[in-house]
Amino acid sequence: MTAAGLGLPGLDFAVLDAYWPVILAGLWTTVRLCGASILLGLAVGLGVELLRARVRRAAPLCRVYVEFFRGSPILIQLFLLYYAGPGIGITLDPEAAGVVGLGLYGGAYFAEIFRSGFEAIPRGQLEAAACLGMPPLRALLRIELPQMAALVLPPAVNQSIILIKDSAVLSIITVPELTKQTSRIINETFTIAEPLLVLAALYWLLVTGLSAAGAALEARLTRHLNPSRKTS
Amino acid sequence: MSKKAASLPPIIEIRKLRKRFGGTEVLRGIDLRVYPSEVVCLIGPSGSGKSTLLRCINVLETYDEGEVRVNGELMGYEEVFGRDRRRASPARLRESRRDLGMVFQQFNLWPHMSAQDNVTEALVSVRGKSRAQAEALGTAMLEKVGLADKLDSYPANLSGGQQQRVAIARALAMEPSIMLFDEPTSALDPELVGDVLEVMRSLAAEGMTMVVVTHEMGFAAEVADRVYFLEGGQVVEEGPPAELFNAPKSPRLGAFLSGWNRRNA
Repeated sequence: MTAAGLGLPGLDFAVLDAYWPVILAGLWTTVRLCGASILLGLAVGLGVELLRARVRRAAPLCRVYVEFFRGSPILIQLFLLYYAGPGIGITLDPEAAGVVGLGLYGGAYFAEIFRSGFEAIPRGQLEAAACLGMPPLRALLRIELPQMAALVLPPAVNQSIILIKDSAVLSIITVPELTKQTSRIINETFTIAEPLLVLAALYWLLVTGLSAAGAALEARLTRHLNPSRKTS
Repeated sequence: MSKKAASLPPIIEIRKLRKRFGGTEVLRGIDLRVYPSEVVCLIGPSGSGKSTLLRCINVLETYDEGEVRVNGELMGYEEVFGRDRRRASPARLRESRRDLGMVFQQFNLWPHMSAQDNVTEALVSVRGKSRAQAEALGTAMLEKVGLADKLDSYPANLSGGQQQRVAIARALAMEPSIMLFDEPTSALDPELVGDVLEVMRSLAAEGMTMVVVTHEMGFAAEVADRVYFLEGGQVVEEGPPAELFNAPKSPRLGAFLSGWNRRNA
């Protein structure tokens, strides 16, 4: 056993030298698909919550959606979409299936996060808007959404982090993302620890980057709540 | 009835108003009239229905029976000839609130907007004024309530009294002919009450029609043209403050006033 590479005893990262292009390609695929899934999830989640809260007839359907996607494992949902989907006329390539699957799964959680955000805005603010003659759509855009966005940022970042880590399951529907590529390397090189450690480190980097971006955005969106800030 | 009531028809007319929350009837047949430029104070113990009554005027609460008319227009319902009235559409409701300004106990400012933006938001989005027009009017309104130096401050950086004055400026900017106040000083520290009452006093002096739910008996005695004493969802006694406060006819008003005097002695 040699203590080479990063100098950790018993580990030899030199075996990965030939595989960095593969690893980076996998990382890029993970970034792309996670970005798309999170955006889809946010859009679906917001749409579902707005429908649930504002269109009485749509509310039961929205609840079924949330219950289904929150109540079953992402693995099963992906299998259903990718392998059983063609049977009912839904044929998606692996990447598209991955984005749709993760997006719908995340959307259920985002919908609940948005619900708590909307409900945290004091009703009186909307009564004030109503008394001034503001139509509901205008109040939504100017009063509810900006405050809701600031309120839900921490849990939404949290949920996005979970989605990034859950994207590892896309490997089972053959998407060549980070985890899939890493298991290929394990199979080809018969080394286990080194590829897995690199894999974990790369996920950690992604998650840390996202959470730093979230913290910066939160500071920006909540400036007005800081009583010490002088504005004039 | 006050001197102002002599010639003009009432600007607010409420008849046989009833309102239930679930199984509890909180308004049990209220009659109330407010004449142009009058200041009417609603007083009474908590749970007497005075805030609900005020909120029925601009239909923040939908009433069940009776009627509320503002400038002759039925509030909250549309009259259908030969049939039962039906609930007013949201657009109709917004239109019928045009003459009414509202000030809340909890201010209800929008915390993510500066004082200036709180005041100008509806001027732009509802009244369709240009940004520049709205800002000029907003600045004038904030000056009027003594906050010319707080245009860019966010609500979190303002005291309760300042926040309530921004809320008053926000309502005034829409140029209502009637201002409704729902316990405007109840959420304030005692030393901040004075500034808000001062603004209300000057509004009254300008001839603004005002309906004020209040626990400030001093303000009611000094500024009100008439006072309504409510208890248990009914008007127990009504008249000029000098009569009500100095010679209450009903024992319940007498008990209410002596309780208030004891607490504020």
